Amino acid sequence: MNEKFILRKDHLTGFLRKLSKGHRLVAPVRNRYGDLMFQVIDSLETTDLDLSEQAQESPKAFFLPQEEVLFSYEASGGIYDFRPINNSEQTVYFGLRSCDISAILYMDVIFLRSPRDDHYMKKRKDSILISIGCNTPGENCFCNATRTGPFLEYGFDLQFTDLGDRFFVESGRARGDEIFSEWPQFFHPVTEEDVRLQYQLALEAKAGFRRQIHVEPAFSKLRDDAVDTAVWREMASRCDGCGGCAYICPTCTCFTIFDRMESTETGKRIRAWDSCTHAGFTRMAGGHNPVDMKIDALRRRFMHKLYYDYSAFRRPSCVGCGRCVDMCFGGVDIVKFIDIVCAGTRKRTRDSRRILGDLLLEAGLISRTDLEKALSRQADTGEALGKILMDLGLVTCAEILGVLSLENM
Amino acid sequence: MTNSIEELRGAEVIMVIGSNTTEAHPQVARRLVAAVDNGKNLIVIDPRRTAISEFADIHLQIRPGTDIPLLNAMMRIILDENLIDDVFIEMRTENFSSLRDSLYTMDLNELIAITGVTAEAIGQAARMYARAQKGVICYCLGITQHICGTGNVESIANLAMITGNVEQSFTGVNPLRGQNNVQGACDMGALPGVFPGYQPVQDLETRKKFERAWKKSLPENLGMTLMQMTHSGRDGQIRAMFIMGENPVLSDPHASLVKETLEGLDFLAVSDIFLTETAELADVVFPAASFAEKDGTVTNSERRVQLMRRAILPIGKCRTDSDIIMELSKRMGYRMDYEDMAEVMEEIALLTPIYGGIYHDRLEKDWGLQWPCTDRNHPGTPYLHKYSFTRGKGRFVPAEHHPPDESPDSEYPFLLMTGRVYHHYHTGTMTRTSEMLEREAPRAVLEIHPDDAGSLNIRKGDMVKISSKRGSIEIEAEPTTRVMKKSLYTSFNFRETPVNILTNPAMDPVAECPEYKICAVKVEKVGHNE
Amino acid sequence: MKHYLTTCCFCGCGCGLYLHVTNGRVVGSSPSRNHPVSRNNLCVKGWHIHEFIHDSGRLTRPLVRKNGTLVHTDWDEALELTAERLSGTISTHGSDAIGVVSSAKCTNEENYLLQKFTRAVLSTNNVDHCARL
Repeated sequence: MNEKFILRKDHLTGFLRKLSKGHRLVAPVRNRYGDLMFQVIDSLETTDLDLSEQAQESPKAFFLPQEEVLFSYEASGGIYDFRPINNSEQTVYFGLRSCDISAILYMDVIFLRSPRDDHYMKKRKDSILISIGCNTPGENCFCNATRTGPFLEYGFDLQFTDLGDRFFVESGRARGDEIFSEWPQFFHPVTEEDVRLQYQLALEAKAGFRRQIHVEPAFSKLRDDAVDTAVWREMASRCDGCGGCAYICPTCTCFTIFDRMESTETGKRIRAWDSCTHAGFTRMAGGHNPVDMKIDALRRRFMHKLYYDYSAFRRPSCVGCGRCVDMCFGGVDIVKFIDIVCAGTRKRTRDSRRILGDLLLEAGLISRTDLEKALSRQADTGEALGKILMDLGLVTCAEILGVLSLENM
Repeated sequence: MTNSIEELRGAEVIMVIGSNTTEAHPQVARRLVAAVDNGKNLIVIDPRRTAISEFADIHLQIRPGTDIPLLNAMMRIILDENLIDDVFIEMRTENFSSLRDSLYTMDLNELIAITGVTAEAIGQAARMYARAQKGVICYCLGITQHICGTGNVESIANLAMITGNVEQSFTGVNPLRGQNNVQGACDMGALPGVFPGYQPVQDLETRKKFERAWKKSLPENLGMTLMQMTHSGRDGQIRAMFIMGENPVLSDPHASLVKETLEGLDFLAVSDIFLTETAELADVVFPAASFAEKDGTVTNSERRVQLMRRAILPIGKCRTDSDIIMELSKRMGYRMDYEDMAEVMEEIALLTPIYGGIYHDRLEKDWGLQWPCTDRNHPGTPYLHKYSFTRGKGRFVPAEHHPPDESPDSEYPFLLMTGRVYHHYHTGTMTRTSEMLEREAPRAVLEIHPDDAGSLNIRKGDMVKISSKRGSIEIEAEPTTRVMKKSLYTSFNFRETPVNILTNPAMDPVAECPEYKICAVKVEKVGHNE
Repeated sequence: MKHYLTTCCFCGCGCGLYLHVTNGRVVGSSPSRNHPVSRNNLCVKGWHIHEFIHDSGRLTRPLVRKNGTLVHTDWDEALELTAERLSGTISTHGSDAIGVVSSAKCTNEENYLLQKFTRAVLSTNNVDHCARL
């Protein structure tokens, strides 16, 4: 493993044609409207692959489809006949990004640990993953902060690096080595110059990020439960419940299951994407929802991405792909959340009156001097304002809850 | 809309009036939130505390049906404080003196008292909007679904014009259109008084033009409106109807009368994708193709004509509505031979000046074209009224307060408003079959102020019966301060709670838009739903 | 899986969305990143728009009322009967006894054809849709 070769760019199509014999080929293609998407390539002659930037959707849907039939059933004479469905096909994924590979590795953890998900496993076994490192990270990318890019050490079958007129190709798994040995005619030995150039490009890419995202400080804040309820409430009030952030997220794997009747005798069991930002995600049959959506609509999502998974796997389940950045109808994507959390209580609230300090001021529970004292201590310690005010003995927990619930009326 | 949706981000002050933007037009609300986060100002005028009102600098929670006095009060303040745009009024408008005179005859304090909002808040809003270099107004059905809907709209236009907030990008007046192609259906002349492109049927020259093109003599008299057709009762003038993709039994006010009218017809044909409440009454039902199964164009709220593309073949034996119409026409002795929808659009372009440059091949290349687009080289129009109004100069039409047709009284003490929910579309025929959308929003609730709920001993989850003069329905109550005391709110998307049984068919005399937003009802507790 | 760009049918915003099609079935939907309205996201209705298309409640065959109930029929009968009854109404009660309701949910072309049909074939201006509702 970790063999390295050079593939000339003008040989790429020929190489992919060989690979796609017996395999379906999935690669990024830009359509005439400018949208770049992973598509099944029917003909390499008539399709131009576009490796210039990250595709607008991750390849998640190929492994965990938006809607997937798990089995179909037919009843006759009160006896049900269940028919398993194979949704898998031998597939080569070409042009994945490091974030996409990292996300697939995360999905492996979710679906392949016990109890194993056979539908997912079949698709994974049938896949060859070929990634291309990001020489120039995109506008919203922050995989440097989540340590999932812009180049990877492992996880791929093959990783390509664009060296201008040629690709530097390295294998990460036995599958990759097999490809090298099956079609040796495409691959030339690497020179020292190639290795040096690849290393340099990977280094430069790391310096090319335009966003600085403080994932680890955010983790500490969440671990210490230092995020003010007012922040969660603000987040929740801005969430429309469109589900878009979860659907577009390459590591959001929550799904729901339902049976879709097609006639009185026949039907299908469907697994479909779900999102923790939907009220129905946790609402029980009797109508009670253990999660207060007015406060915690987004709490689970960010806790899961940045804290629970960090605790369990030492890395966040956010892979820094940036796809959810700027998509939120209420302006609360994960990057803004981290910014808000790490900036203490300097929240970008819609209305400064609603910040806890002002609410307490308004309610006559603290004076302006008290508030300023607490704020200056906050600037030093970064603690939550509510906690400081309580520590200073200025307000009680009940009083804080009181003004916040008034605010919620 | 006179602006594009994306332009809203660039406005300095945005005034939203009668629009539950977050739920009904999420993409518009997204731009409003972005504008607020960028330090722009937002004024929301709505009797309910809607999600978008939480983002507002000023929320004027007026009494339902008092938009005209509110707008008049704002204009009076603007006039008194000399915040008007003299140059704009002079150059681009007419009849200002009548508006000014009318405003001067009104008593400001009286106007303010009608609205139920403080003078201070109204003054703040008036100044904020008038002083903006780039001010935008968005309004929706909260303005039009009133007996005085036309007056409401004219008052909004008056306010925009006296402050000169009309003529450039990032300024303007934007009606947000409800359904996906309500703009297009109007543009295409699916209206009793106009041919495509708003060309009047009573204009001789226009009629001649269409007669020559269609090779038929065409009727001259104005047709009947939807409300006249569906509310004429069992023995109305209409004896046979063809309804394409609409569900008036659930969507029109005074639903029992609609049902009675349709049942009384000699013949009813309905084309739809589901067996709707209306289709159940039909003599013939055509299974139509859904949006995924046909080609064509639709026109959105910002006048953007866009392609709908066929993704799959019609399921089962379904056929597209265009197919059905062409077949019927042929069988009635008039051939319509169009190879595809692009050919229909070519005919539209020939006969409709505002669509004169819109062809399918052009739409393929870009994200659609915004009309007016008069010829093949015209780039489309992102914002209207750049150099002049459609009719030349903008005309001020003063309006006076017109109380709702039905006011609460001792028997029906509550005022009921109706609207929509985020998860469902119109009468829910499509969205309610979606497993996820149905899980998220399985039923309508009646919003009632906690004080009113308390005095009627109603708790969250209780079933209540609401009745108006026209009928009654049972619905689950949800006490909330989103509504004011003595007012109620619910949505019309659910067939189990067909709220249009209650609503008042009284309508604006010009626009014939029924007063969905206000009817008087009483509330009684009937049980607990658990 | 193939992606077809189309326009969402669930409100007047008019988002550009992709329908994902596998084996003749629409199995997913997603926003266009570059479309001027959708800009990489859809509301919850748009994200789930594929779910109604193949619903088992869809009408798939024409229906005609016989002895008071709606029963399946073929296209020929449904169309012929409708043409006949509309013509019959015109000859007994006149053109203005026919009302046509077009749809804000149908395309421009369909609305154009229906108002043309109403005016040129049925000879009445009794055509409207629910613009006001």
